[in-house]
Amino acid sequence: MTERTWQKSLKWLLGFWLAGVTAAALLWAPAAAGFQGHSFRIVFFHVPQAWVAVLAFCVNLVASLRYLRGRKPLDDVRATTAARLGLLFAVLATITGSIFAKIEWGMFWNWDPRETSIVILLLIYAAYFALRQAVADEERRAALAAAYAIFAFVTMPFLIFVVPRVYASLHPNLVEAARGAVRFKMDPAMRMVLLGALAGFSGLFAWLYTLEVRVARVMAARRAKEEA
Amino acid sequence: MVTVRFRDVAKRFGGQRVLAGVSGELRPGRVLVVAGPNGSGKSTFLNILAGLLRPSRGDVQYLEDDRVLDQEDWYPTLGVAAPDMALYEELTAFENLQLFARLRGVHAHDHAALLEELGLAAAHHHKPLGAFSSGMKQRVKLAQAVLHRPSVLLLDEPSANLDEDGHRRVAGLVTRLRSEAAIAVATNDPREMAWGDASIDLAG
Amino acid sequence: MHRSTLLAESLAVLGKEVASELRRRVALNAIGLFAVTTLVAVAYQIGPYGLAEQDRPFLLSALLWIILFFAATAGLSRVFVKEEDAHTAKALRLAARPLAVLYGKLLFNLLLLLALEAIIVPLYCALMGFAVKSVGGLVLVMVAGGAAFAVTSTFVAAIIARASGSNALFAILALPLLLPLLVAVIAGTRAAAGSPELLAVFPALRAVVSLGGVTMVTAILLFPVVWRD
Repeated sequence: MTERTWQKSLKWLLGFWLAGVTAAALLWAPAAAGFQGHSFRIVFFHVPQAWVAVLAFCVNLVASLRYLRGRKPLDDVRATTAARLGLLFAVLATITGSIFAKIEWGMFWNWDPRETSIVILLLIYAAYFALRQAVADEERRAALAAAYAIFAFVTMPFLIFVVPRVYASLHPNLVEAARGAVRFKMDPAMRMVLLGALAGFSGLFAWLYTLEVRVARVMAARRAKEEA
Repeated sequence: MVTVRFRDVAKRFGGQRVLAGVSGELRPGRVLVVAGPNGSGKSTFLNILAGLLRPSRGDVQYLEDDRVLDQEDWYPTLGVAAPDMALYEELTAFENLQLFARLRGVHAHDHAALLEELGLAAAHHHKPLGAFSSGMKQRVKLAQAVLHRPSVLLLDEPSANLDEDGHRRVAGLVTRLRSEAAIAVATNDPREMAWGDASIDLAG
Repeated sequence: MHRSTLLAESLAVLGKEVASELRRRVALNAIGLFAVTTLVAVAYQIGPYGLAEQDRPFLLSALLWIILFFAATAGLSRVFVKEEDAHTAKALRLAARPLAVLYGKLLFNLLLLLALEAIIVPLYCALMGFAVKSVGGLVLVMVAGGAAFAVTSTFVAAIIARASGSNALFAILALPLLLPLLVAVIAGTRAAAGSPELLAVFPALRAVVSLGGVTMVTAILLFPVVWRD
């Protein structure tokens, strides 16, 4: 199999996988105890979206570090692309989260620690792009954005791990729930769908990410050609 | 003795090309004149030579006895005076020199003698720069550029804002320093161009 | 080539900042006026009796830090922005080591913040009737919080100085980075207000100190990139 057809079949596989996960989440997964009606089904989309937002933040970190070490424009493209997708998924996670919160807890927004974390992640992404917009020189823009992203990454764990413990969380703790420890017990079928969705959304991120990087690479090549 | 070698240095600002592949060398004891009309990238080029701006393409190397210096090691050997570079207006001429001498670890330097060599009368040494004319500021800037006896000297329009007397003094300074430093002068002034042993024309 | 030590260079930068500030007073005026104005507005509107008893420690701690935070954002970015505005950054970049610039300017911002706290906190306590049970605890939180605050704001100031539209950008970039710190210092201030035990502020203090330490190390590693590029 050539690389092209291999990529193409991967793309189809991803499509089928996501379709399957969506169907399973809405139709197959059994109703979870302790939730209003079918509201819990949004979890199969909300949790993977939040996960991808964080994953993108990590990809951005790696690309930023690599840029500062090697100063290759492509690494800057990688960092920006990851940030753009991260922003998108953070927005999606915020929207799905507040729909769920409205149904479950009666309010769209509660300043629950995890809600606060995603808002700060959103603010960091927004600040990242505001900074990029404000620097005209390409090399300097890339370096400053990378430095900001790395610095921001370092402060994030404090938010996620240190600060939230100050308050109690309304959020269902999925990790402990998966171990069957608290509040609601996760059904094996439910866990399977959730893991499938996590894999599917990660694949979706990987596909969008490589696609955008490829486009940027082609455009850079064309610009170099025009200049020569 | 430090030699500066630059290869295929190019710079783009927001998709606009300001500098297209310049190569050459700055050698000790020589004056390189960088010429070209306004907007041809003279200042950009000097900024890249100084390591203050990253080129979009190409590189700059500082060589001491064929050893390549890190930026950290070449900054102490470098003196720069340029129109887009100012000193502290709320400090006096003397305090400015004192500050830069302290930052560069230069002790026992005669700031007053250097200021006088550049034609700044003693009466002005202890006045804040904010009250100076642009010609007087230019003289203090030049003093700042050379007080640590740099082995590479980059001068961007060194006699800008200077009168006839000022121009003569800058010429004297270049003559005094050319034996011990590699000098680059970006200029359009024919009198300054005459100082050069070699030249680069950025227009063509 | 003779060179100065890092310490001497840092102190030279600090000395330059102090001398300039004493002559121009731009940052002092900006921060001081902002803080006093907000303090007066808050004290006039709320005063010592405007809050229910059970809400007081929490709301008063939060309000105090909001006043300090906004006053600080009005002035802390000046250390780097003024160098770019006045075109003096280039000369400094060539003459001083990046870390000397960072240390000098960080110390200057820390001094500014501590001066701000020394004036505003007693005034606030008096005007708002904010009774602090552990003064030692409050001082610890203020000093550690001020230091951690200075690190992040100085680093962000260095970044935005090299971009256009600086002042709005400072708030945009600094806010998400300072929020965890704000939550921790507010918790610490509340603990100092509520308990005479010095130990009560320690959980919050631990978060503040570790956050300050980690950001300081990161700033040291990244600053040369921000300053030179």
